[in-house]
Amino acid sequence: MNSTFLDRLLHNWLTLRKPVSRLQAVGLGVACILLCLTGWWLLTLGEYESRIVGPLTLPSPAETFGKFSELWNDFALTRNVLVTLRRVSIGFALALVVGIPIGVTAGCFPRVHAFLSPLIMIGRNVPLAAVLGLMIFIFGSGEKNKVMFIFVASVAFVISDAARAIMDVSARYIDTAYTLGASRWQTISKVLVPLAAPTIFSACRQMFGLAFGYIMLAESIKIADEVGGLGYQIQIFQRRGFREHIYLIILVIPFVALVIDQVLAGIQRQLFPHVYGGDGVLRTLVRVILIPWENLKSLLFHKHLASLPPAATDEGPK
Amino acid sequence: MSQPPAAANANETTGSLASGAASAPRSSIATVITGGLTPPRSPVGLRPHVVEFRNVTKTYNSGKSDQFTAIRDVTFVVEDVADKGEFVCVLGPSGCGKSTILRLIAGLEPQHPATNGDVLILGQSVVGPGSDRGMVFQDYTSFDHRTVLENVTFGLECLHMPRKQRDELGREWIQKMGLNVTTDADKFPHELSGGMRQRVAIARTLILKPRIILMDEPFGALDPLTRLNMQDLLVKLWKEVQATVFFITHSIEEAVFLGDRVYLMSNSPGTILEELKIEPATSSANEMQRQPKFLEAVYYIRDKITKLESNQ
Ligand SMILES: Nc1ncnc2c1ncn2[C@@H]1O[C@H](COP(=O)(O)OP(=O)(O)OP(=O)(O)O)[C@@H](O)[C@H]1O
Ligand SMILES: [Mg+2]
Repeated sequence: MNSTFLDRLLHNWLTLRKPVSRLQAVGLGVACILLCLTGWWLLTLGEYESRIVGPLTLPSPAETFGKFSELWNDFALTRNVLVTLRRVSIGFALALVVGIPIGVTAGCFPRVHAFLSPLIMIGRNVPLAAVLGLMIFIFGSGEKNKVMFIFVASVAFVISDAARAIMDVSARYIDTAYTLGASRWQTISKVLVPLAAPTIFSACRQMFGLAFGYIMLAESIKIADEVGGLGYQIQIFQRRGFREHIYLIILVIPFVALVIDQVLAGIQRQLFPHVYGGDGVLRTLVRVILIPWENLKSLLFHKHLASLPPAATDEGPK
Repeated sequence: MSQPPAAANANETTGSLASGAASAPRSSIATVITGGLTPPRSPVGLRPHVVEFRNVTKTYNSGKSDQFTAIRDVTFVVEDVADKGEFVCVLGPSGCGKSTILRLIAGLEPQHPATNGDVLILGQSVVGPGSDRGMVFQDYTSFDHRTVLENVTFGLECLHMPRKQRDELGREWIQKMGLNVTTDADKFPHELSGGMRQRVAIARTLILKPRIILMDEPFGALDPLTRLNMQDLLVKLWKEVQATVFFITHSIEEAVFLGDRVYLMSNSPGTILEELKIEPATSSANEMQRQPKFLEAVYYIRDKITKLESNQ
C-alpha cells in the first residue's frame, strides 16, 4: 500500500527527462525560493544572542530587506546597475563586432583558423587578474580600462565559439548550395552563417552572463577617481561593514541577470523561429530591412536563367 | 523469394545478348547493350556526349596508409539525345562507388578530382560544382532556416532574380511538386514530412533547369507508397524539363520503372559491369510494376546481379 503510493509518486514526479509544464516549473522555482527564505528566517530567529547564526555573519531577512530603501535611494541602486550594464554591454558588443566576423572567417577557412589558433589559445587562457592590471596600465583609470577588460576577456571565446559553430554545420549543406549555383560568398552568407547563427547566439548569451560577473571584478579595483557600478558599491559596503547591503546586492544581481537573459531569450526566439517556433517577428523585420539592398543587387547583377553558363564551363564556386 | 518466370530463365540461357539491341528478347523490356567496358567512340562532327567517363579511377586518401580505391577504370558514355535527356539508373551493392561517380559528375570534393582518367561534361572537363548539374541527396538537405518557398527559390536568389519574379516561379514549382502553395510555402523544413522535404529538394533543383540532374537515392528513406507517388511525379516532371538524369537506387523495380538505361555495378573497386536498355514506362508506377513483363525484367536483372556477383 505504502510502497505503491511511493512508486506512483516517484514514477509521476521523477520520470526520466519528462517535460514540465511552465506553470509547474515556475511553481517549483518559487517553492525553492520560499524554502531558502524559511531556512534563512529560522537560522536568524530571535534576539541577537539567541540566534543560531550570529548577526555579524548573517542578518535576518527583515533586517536585510529593511535596508532596501536605503540601497535604492541613498546608494542609487538603479544608477549603479545601469553604469555596470553600460560598461559590460559596450565591452561585450565590441567583442561581438570584432569576434564574430573573425570567428566566422576562421570557421570557413581552416587555414585562417590554423593561423589564428595560437592567439585564440592565449586569449582563452589569459589570467583575468593579469588582464585587469594591464588594462589599467594601458588605459589608465576611468571607463576605458573596464570596457577593454570585458572586451579582452571575452573576444577569444566569441571567436572560437563562432568558428566552432560554423565548422559544425554539416558539409552536405555546402555541397547542396554549390550544386544550386551558389558562389563561395553566397554559401557563407546565405547558408553557413544563418545555419550557425542560433548556436552562436546561444553561446554569446551564456558568455554575456559570465561577462556580467567579470565586470564587477573590474569595478572592485579602486583606483583614483572611481565612479559607481555594482562592484564598486560592494567594495564600499564591505569596507564599511554593511552586511545587509551586500546580501541585498547578492540577491539583486541574479534578478538583473535573469531579466537580461529573458530579454535575450526573447530576441533569440523571434530571430530563429525555425529553432524555437513562433512567428519570428525579428526575422521578418531583418528580411524587410534587407529588401532594398536585395533589390539593388537584383538590379545590378540579375543573370537570367536562360543565360546560364553552359555545362561545366563555369569554373564552379570560386 | 519467388521463382523467376520461365520466360526470364529463357532469356538467361539465350544469354549471349551482348550483341546489341537487335537481339532484344521479345518478352522482356530489358536489353543488354554492353557487357562491361567498351571504350566509347569519340563523336566526330557530332554533338559532344552529355557525360563521358574515360578510365576514371578514384582512390581516397591516395598515398596514405588508409588509401582505398572506390572505383577503378570506369568508362561510359551518355549520349546527347536530341531534345530529350536520358534517364540513367545506377544499380549496385552498397559501397560499390555509386555516390562516388555521381559526386565526380557534380564536381564535389573530396570525390572530385578523379585520381586518374577524365570526367567530361559536354566534352569539357569538370572543374567544380555548378547549377548546370543539379543534385538531390539522399539525406535531407533542406536549408533549415529557410521556408519552403525560400528553399525552392534559393538558386534563383543566387542569380539575383528579383524577389517578385522568383517567388512567382517558386510558387509555380511548389504547386507542380504536389505541395500546397497556401499552407506549405511558409513552413520550415522541420515542419515537413520526409516525402515533402524531398519534393522541396527536387523543386529547388528543377527550377534551375539543369542540363543534368543527379539523384543519389532520393527516395531511399520514403515509405513504399510515397515512393511510388514520387516516381510518377518524377517521370512527369522529367519529361517536362528534358534533362539527363543520373539516378542511384537500391531498388531494381525503381530502376526498371524510371530508367531508359540501367548500369549494373560490381563490388568495390567498382566498375560498370553491364549496361541495359529499358523500354520507357507506359503507365503509372503502381500499375506498371505489377505487369508480368515488368516483373520479368526485374527478375532478369536480379539474376544477372546474382550471377555477376558469383563470378567475381
Ligand atoms: N570521403 C571518403 N574517404 C574515404 N573513403 C570513402 C569516402 N567516401 C566513400 N569512401 C569509400 O568508397 C567506397 C564507395 O563509396 P560510395 O559512397 O561511392 O558507395 P555507394 O555505392 O554510394 O554506397 P551506398 O549504396 O551505401 O551509398 C566505400 O567503400 C566508402 O567506404
Ligand atoms: Mg551512396
